[in-house]
Amino acid sequence: MREYVVRRVLLFFPSLAGVSLVVFALMRLVPGDVAEILVYSAGSEQASVAKAQVAKIRGELGLDKPIAVQYALWLKGALQGNFGHSYLEDRPVREMLAEWFPRTMELALLTLVLAALWAVPLGVVSAVRQDHWPDYLCRSLSISGLSVPIFFSGVLILFVLVRFFHWLPPLEYVSVWEDPARNLQKIIWPALAQAFYISAPITRLTRSQLLEVIREDYVRTARSKGLIEQLVIYRHALKNALLPVVTFTGWWVGRLLGGLVVMEIIFQVPGMGMGLITSVNNRDYPTVQAIVFVMAGVFLLLNLIVDLLYGWLDPRIKYA
Amino acid sequence: MDTGVAREAIERGEREEAREEVRTGRRELWNVLRNFPRRQPLGAIGGVLVALMVAVALLAPWLAPHNPKAAGFDTFIPPGGGFPFGTDHLGRDVLSRVIWGARLSLYVGLTSVGVGVTLGSLWGVVTGFFGGAWDTVSQRVVDTLMAFPPIILALGLMAVLGQSVENVIVTLTVLLAPAAARTIRSTTLGVKEMMFIEACRAAGLPLRRVIARHVVPNVMATYLVLFSVNIGYAIVVEAALSFLGLGAPPDEPSWGGMLTGATEHLERAPWIALFPGVALSLSVFGLNLLGDAVRDLLDPRLRGTGAG
Repeated sequence: MREYVVRRVLLFFPSLAGVSLVVFALMRLVPGDVAEILVYSAGSEQASVAKAQVAKIRGELGLDKPIAVQYALWLKGALQGNFGHSYLEDRPVREMLAEWFPRTMELALLTLVLAALWAVPLGVVSAVRQDHWPDYLCRSLSISGLSVPIFFSGVLILFVLVRFFHWLPPLEYVSVWEDPARNLQKIIWPALAQAFYISAPITRLTRSQLLEVIREDYVRTARSKGLIEQLVIYRHALKNALLPVVTFTGWWVGRLLGGLVVMEIIFQVPGMGMGLITSVNNRDYPTVQAIVFVMAGVFLLLNLIVDLLYGWLDPRIKYA
Repeated sequence: MDTGVAREAIERGEREEAREEVRTGRRELWNVLRNFPRRQPLGAIGGVLVALMVAVALLAPWLAPHNPKAAGFDTFIPPGGGFPFGTDHLGRDVLSRVIWGARLSLYVGLTSVGVGVTLGSLWGVVTGFFGGAWDTVSQRVVDTLMAFPPIILALGLMAVLGQSVENVIVTLTVLLAPAAARTIRSTTLGVKEMMFIEACRAAGLPLRRVIARHVVPNVMATYLVLFSVNIGYAIVVEAALSFLGLGAPPDEPSWGGMLTGATEHLERAPWIALFPGVALSLSVFGLNLLGDAVRDLLDPRLRGTGAG
């Protein structure tokens, strides 16, 4: 067990290094002179001012140094949370991330909670009433959840709110610490839309796992000693059925983080996703770089946690 | 046994196998097709939806009543009359754009999966077969590319490459190839250990020939599964990128791109969003059902590995 934990944790660092290399290389792939693009897309007025700025940015990005040194400098900064300067907003990228990141994580957390609350019971119902109408209903719900692209279900929710309730979520974003009710009014909708999407695979997996476990000997034993059905299902069967559901989380988290970008755009939540799109559109490359790096880092970290959790939940696991 | 004799035997076997394959191939294909609707009813429904989409995509120039890019009509005409799906906020015929959208989606889906999954599979076969240091390096490359949340990596790439349909295909290739390489590599590892491969090598067949004639046919089922289950995914990613304004340019009739402008006019003109959204959902639904059925037929072990 300890060996598993150590090896898994050690694996995290080369992955992070690989990710940082790709993110760094991405920006060097930009055709043309990065410094010039940064200055002109930030909208400088005079040519003389612009020239001075180009030289300054070149110095700041270290573009005059060898590429390996540039990478080392960038990585050193990034690991300390220093992602350079946004020429679009004229402030440190770190400051912007500090604002955006908690909002995105709140949305992600709410989505996961809603999805789990909705998907696991649905999977249980589906498995317990296998091949009866509740099962068919749950299965078609989950298949439709998988097939409607997330941005369309988001737009549909918005449409229903506007058309039938003549109501739109508040335009302004209020932090959950200031006014939880107003905050919820805004972020519940993107969370619902996305929860519907990621709940589909959770439901399917819960169902198939539970169906398998229900046929195991120890469940038959539990039944034959006279336990009531609810206890058999919840206390004995579900516990083991949910194990693979946990491991599969890594796969959903990747989709979840990508989907958050789309949701933030539709529902105007000023988080990492909206920041990414704005900075891509304005060629604010240091910010793009920082967001992609942080999101990939979060993804790696979550996968690490899931793997460790799995090792803890299922002591049989060995590092393969 | 003399290696020359063994080699001859294998070559004779190959020739006979090829002839036999052609003979039984036709019969088998017919059997699979005839039994498909009964064995895979959902897959058959998917097949019908996909066939519909392909037909619309192929016949787009004849089906579409107007030029999908021409903005010559009144804006916000509701569905009905001369415009069954209405017109959009720029005065373009929504029906024509939905029809041409099928062509764009299918084009992006087929080319990106064709290039991405094929390159990834070749990569997986070669590294899996030879192993060694290159295999280890390539595995780390795969790990790294798969360590990004897909859409976020795609957005980063599109930011660098710039907005165009071709660049969407390039981006999708980068997303699809590593996953294909990983799956095919693990299948190859299994095939490599089989006795007949050992026999080929012992008989001194050139490695290129062993791979092409004996390994590749045995990973073909996995390749076909990867191919079919990823088309729907590629189409959704294209639509998502276009929706975010970073995929196809705005005048291209992309289903995702059509939804972008529509969100601002939801109350006044919901049809601008609903028709492309439904077209996209139905196509993806059909492709998912068909992909699942193909996977169950060819390689049920892949169920739930993320390939589906």
